[in-house]
Amino acid sequence: MSGLLLFLVSMVSLGAIYAMLCVALNLESGVGGLWDLGIVSFFGIGAYAYVIVTAPPAASYQAYIFGFEAPVWAGMAAAMIAAALFALLIGALTLRLKREYFLITTLAFAEVIRQIFVNEAWLTNGVAGIYGLRPPLREAVDPSAYGFLLLALLVAGLAIVFLVTRHMVISPFGRSLKAVRENEALAITAGIAPRRHNLKAYVVAGTISGLAGVFYVWYNTIVTPGQYSSDVTFFVWTAVIIGGLGSLRGALVGGFIFVLLHDILRFVPVSGEAAATVASLRTAVIGLALILILRWRPNGLFPERATVFGGAAPAGAKAMVSHNA
Amino acid sequence: MPRIGSESAMDILIFGTISASILLLSSIGFSMTLKTEGFINIAHGQALLMGAYLALWLDGLGLPLWAAAILASIGCGFTGVILNRVLFKPVKSKGILVLLFTSVGAAYVIYGIVGALAGKRMLAFDLPPMRAWQIAGQPFMTPYEFAIVLLAIVSALGVHVFLTYTWAGKSIRAVADNEDLARVRGFDPRRTSDIVWFVATALAGLAGVFLGIVGSLHTQMGWQMIIMILAVTVLGGLGSIYGVMLASVVLAFGIEIGLMFVSSSYRTGLAFALIIAVLLVRPGGLQSLWGGGKTRTH
Repeated sequence: MSGLLLFLVSMVSLGAIYAMLCVALNLESGVGGLWDLGIVSFFGIGAYAYVIVTAPPAASYQAYIFGFEAPVWAGMAAAMIAAALFALLIGALTLRLKREYFLITTLAFAEVIRQIFVNEAWLTNGVAGIYGLRPPLREAVDPSAYGFLLLALLVAGLAIVFLVTRHMVISPFGRSLKAVRENEALAITAGIAPRRHNLKAYVVAGTISGLAGVFYVWYNTIVTPGQYSSDVTFFVWTAVIIGGLGSLRGALVGGFIFVLLHDILRFVPVSGEAAATVASLRTAVIGLALILILRWRPNGLFPERATVFGGAAPAGAKAMVSHNA
Repeated sequence: MPRIGSESAMDILIFGTISASILLLSSIGFSMTLKTEGFINIAHGQALLMGAYLALWLDGLGLPLWAAAILASIGCGFTGVILNRVLFKPVKSKGILVLLFTSVGAAYVIYGIVGALAGKRMLAFDLPPMRAWQIAGQPFMTPYEFAIVLLAIVSALGVHVFLTYTWAGKSIRAVADNEDLARVRGFDPRRTSDIVWFVATALAGLAGVFLGIVGSLHTQMGWQMIIMILAVTVLGGLGSIYGVMLASVVLAFGIEIGLMFVSSSYRTGLAFALIIAVLLVRPGGLQSLWGGGKTRTH
């Protein structure tokens, strides 16, 4: 019984991390219209920045040269700052590209960054990764209860991220983003600078992903390049699509539904060769779910709803109807 | 592709030629579907995976390698037609993003099924070993590698002849340019679409077999190659079939030369660094060099 409970706590924790990434992706790709296939870049940069700042110096068998043993808050700040700076740099370079080119270039950056994690062992300890990382408040409670404390921390983090993002979405900034998404030419006429708004959304999403990276390190107590492959990007997109692209509620729920779909089979005990087969089939199930959702509910389980300002909009006056979550 | 010893100009020439051939074969089909259907088909990489493992299985049944390769390629071709009819066509009206992520879903399904059937072990074709030919005392390609290069060039020429001189090829270009006009002129978009998917996926399957022959088979090969295919396609200009032919060569040799300076584990990273650099200078890819990116793209 307690095994099941621990498993559930672990799943919900992972769900909270995915939900955070979903909220970030939804801000730039759902509310804004950016087709970003590089969200994992900032997730990974945040995780590695946190580890580099907070990890103890390398042992004799490890290769990394940093490891400042700084407190947790400094690590979190470093993660968010590093993610934001990289987002600013990559965004400034790529946001002038149009849809498909932007999509492929962001995927390209994610791949280059992953290869840097793999190859630059002086910074990241290479494919071996850095392990045995102590999550915060580890000594504060009994080891068997730590899972619950971590869950509480993650849920609190998710709540803050959600509220901040929600505030941004319903603010004039969020409405401008939607205006650019719906009709860029019209938005420019209305005095909105598309590039500046898109860049801001991109940097905010990157910063949130960087923070999610910190939480992912707490959850795993290990960081390796394999955790930050483009699979994460496609999984987060899948989760957001399941929830409903553009819908805040959808992004929140999508992350949890995705983890349920993807990881529930992990609890079924299987051995050896069968485990690899089950892992492969899990991926196939995700693919099938994505295909079915797009076919039958392309707007997701919680579609973005149109918000009407100033009473009923006259028929056909699309410009007066904005979308709201 | 594994390499032994130091890099010489000859090595760069040989490895560059082999990589370019396989890249070309992998990317032509991707570019054809992008041009005619208008979306980025992520599942194209998994067609390579499927082709390689299908050929390996057929080869294991006792078929000669050439027959296994042809049958695997045809099998992939039909799978492509089925994927299009069952998955892509029904959601075509819902926009590129839905199509793109439907193809991501399809990629995960193929990847998952092949992984479940074949296991995670690295596999290889059981080929009788052949020594590389010698040219002036220097080792040149093995007969396998030479055949792959030759077949890739023949396939590329075949696609060119097919698009330029045959009724089906002309209908593909007509439908890609303007579907309504093509319909009025008597081209059947549905049949055209089937032909595109068959040819595109069959070529990818063949490329997968070749990739397995020069290297090894592993379940990640589809994902690794789709990244390279995207790089080639962006460099050549999205949907430009002739741009892709040039881009495969430029990229393959660019990587071989670049690998003289950085570690070989940066292979795809190098490809993308090249792409990022090109896009920042020329946002329309290589084809914008000769058409300003506005003229006909095929």
